Amino acid sequence: MTSVCMYFEVHQPMRLKKFSVFNIGDKNNNYYFNERLNQEIFEKVVNKCYLPTNNLLLDQIRKHDGKFRVSFSLTGTFVEYCKKYSPEVLDSFKELFKTGAVDFIEETYYHSLSSLFEDMDEFQNQVNMHHNMIKKTFNYRPRVFRNTEAIYDNRIAKKVSEMGYKGIITEGTEKILQWRSPNYLYKPVNSDIKVLLRNYTLSDDVGFRFSAKGWPGHPLTADKYANWMGNAEGDLINLFMDYETFGEHHWEDTGIFRFLEHLPGEVLRHNHMDFVTVSEAVERYQTVGEIDVPWAISWADADRDVSTWLGNDMQRACFYEIKNIGEKIKRNEQNDLLHTWRLLQTSDHLYYCSTKGLEDGDVHKYFSHYDNPYDGFINYMNILQDFKQKIR
Amino acid sequence: MKIAMIGWEYPPFKAGGLATHCYGLTRNLSDKNVKVYFFMPKTKHKTSSDKKNLEIVEVGETEIFPYDRPEDKALAGQFFVAVHQYNQLVIKKVKSVAKKAGKFDAIHCHDWLTMEATIKLKEELGIPMILTVHSTEYDRSGWIYPNQWFIDIEKNGMQKADLIIAVSNFTKNVIVEKYGINPDKIRVVHNAVYPIPEGQKKEIVLFLGRITIQKGAEFFLKAAKKVLEFEPDTRFVVAGSGDMLPELIENSINLGISNRTIFTGRISDEEVKYLYGISSVYVMPSVSEPFGITALEAISAGTPTIVSKTAGVSEAFNNCLRVDFWDTDEMANKIISLLRYDPLHRVMSCEGKKEINLFTWDRVADKTIDVYNEVR
Repeated sequence: MTSVCMYFEVHQPMRLKKFSVFNIGDKNNNYYFNERLNQEIFEKVVNKCYLPTNNLLLDQIRKHDGKFRVSFSLTGTFVEYCKKYSPEVLDSFKELFKTGAVDFIEETYYHSLSSLFEDMDEFQNQVNMHHNMIKKTFNYRPRVFRNTEAIYDNRIAKKVSEMGYKGIITEGTEKILQWRSPNYLYKPVNSDIKVLLRNYTLSDDVGFRFSAKGWPGHPLTADKYANWMGNAEGDLINLFMDYETFGEHHWEDTGIFRFLEHLPGEVLRHNHMDFVTVSEAVERYQTVGEIDVPWAISWADADRDVSTWLGNDMQRACFYEIKNIGEKIKRNEQNDLLHTWRLLQTSDHLYYCSTKGLEDGDVHKYFSHYDNPYDGFINYMNILQDFKQKIR
Repeated sequence: MKIAMIGWEYPPFKAGGLATHCYGLTRNLSDKNVKVYFFMPKTKHKTSSDKKNLEIVEVGETEIFPYDRPEDKALAGQFFVAVHQYNQLVIKKVKSVAKKAGKFDAIHCHDWLTMEATIKLKEELGIPMILTVHSTEYDRSGWIYPNQWFIDIEKNGMQKADLIIAVSNFTKNVIVEKYGINPDKIRVVHNAVYPIPEGQKKEIVLFLGRITIQKGAEFFLKAAKKVLEFEPDTRFVVAGSGDMLPELIENSINLGISNRTIFTGRISDEEVKYLYGISSVYVMPSVSEPFGITALEAISAGTPTIVSKTAGVSEAFNNCLRVDFWDTDEMANKIISLLRYDPLHRVMSCEGKKEINLFTWDRVADKTIDVYNEVR
């Protein structure tokens, strides 16, 4: 039996408003986020992606009597957006969850890089916040964890295992697998937890290449894709992608919705294939080997490491700044500043400052509302300087 | 392939980016086995070529600075007469060279000054005409009261040219929209740069260019005023000369920043390079800038650069900051950020130099040859 495990990352950052050096220290300027832009983007994605894709998945789950199964990771900021601008999106996720064919994944509430702080207390706090949010919203306790953008190393795996999770998700990169296949569960060298590895080739066929006309696989049809998976060896094919793949990264006219609509049926036509949620995957399958990851990896860019967020001096400067600010806030017990501090930790703010060239640079540009990484840095750093002044 | 190129300026005689362009282009064309006869006005500087395939042909004797807008009517009159005379001499000279050297594959001119001769030669010799547009009257006037006389000359040249090379899409759009030229006969070839060495950086913010309405130096001073309120140790250098220089000096006094502002006047190539090298920030606030080679020069010297959004270079180059030329608050925000945040300065400097490697005259020559091949 080969199980297909589909999981979607659902996240929206709180984008920053324009903040110049002249605003630093301005007492009347307390709110750092561009409400109008954020609402505009969110509502656009609701209509192009979240609602249509949720409805499509719901139909397919019902049509296949729950044999089609999926998992989601909803960030805290995403759920805040839903509550503020689009409660019907949250209702639709609840509806999906009620089918019993949908699983939720744990992560940091703020989609942050707190796992990379040397002290892991803040990381744990943010995971707990996410845990409470999912508990309150869906009355559910996730058993599988996925860190921001699948950032993973031995240290993080150990921490997550100690926190009681049964599984953790990361990238199936050759860096850690060498010749081995991502289509099995593995175990970290230093802890007892099952690691699900993203099959990046098959995932990116949909996530990145689906509408690329120059790609030999184009046009990608559900039956062709199901056949590729049917021919793959292993227990488990992990297809992890941004939820916005559907309708936003690939617009409706590329045929992405038709593809998703036909995929469950095409997969289930193969007698040796089924669908599992992430929790079911770690229950059903055993680990086949160990992975050793001393340096952090992720699913981002071609480098598959943390250079997407910490690759240049600007990004590292912001990262240290935000970390130091937090230490001071906690020392002073200025709890009223914690939420803003954490919103500023969302990894996207650092992502916008990435100067990586060529292919990746294009992707970054696509996701950024800044003219270039330097504008992103200036704005973010100005805000951090202002925020710093609010500490006693 | 044999090309007659009609020029106006060429190093060491230099008034603007046109000279730099002709220098880089002709030398790299000759390296690619294109025989170039470059016709230019005789000046007091002696110009020569060390390239086998490049011949510099000096014509007559004139000394004219094409980018200053003649205010004085009498002087303006002389200027137009001189341009006309030069064109007449060029016609004769090109014909006599053609007699000896054989038929040219194309005749190539730059901007309006030599259009008269080029059109005539195209018709009389029956060879295709290429026109490179480095700037238009709209650019030079800063889009305020453009002179119809120039516009008519430019339009005529654009219509007669078999193919037009524009230095940016920005300029291509001007040619299409303002001169009514068919976009199908316009090719965009972005400029390039000979890199300049990096110096010991000082807290200097640099403006470099002709002090004319086109280049927007007054916005630079307004931004300087705002920067100095926050970073009082900064020095601002305005390098270059032009018709607006006296007005600008007065501006700096009125703004109360004359003690932090240095006006160099016209400076030598060596001094220009030195300034690029030691400056911490370069600002190009042009009101209208078809390309803006100076931005590439500054960046090549490791100087992070802020360019006007309307400059051609801003569409072609990634690792620079962009502003609206009139938005002096934002200009100041960016200057201060570059002065304050070392990581920003470091990364921009380093990434900029990397990207500069893509902007070679070799590439410009290749693309220009493609254009020659299209009309042959």
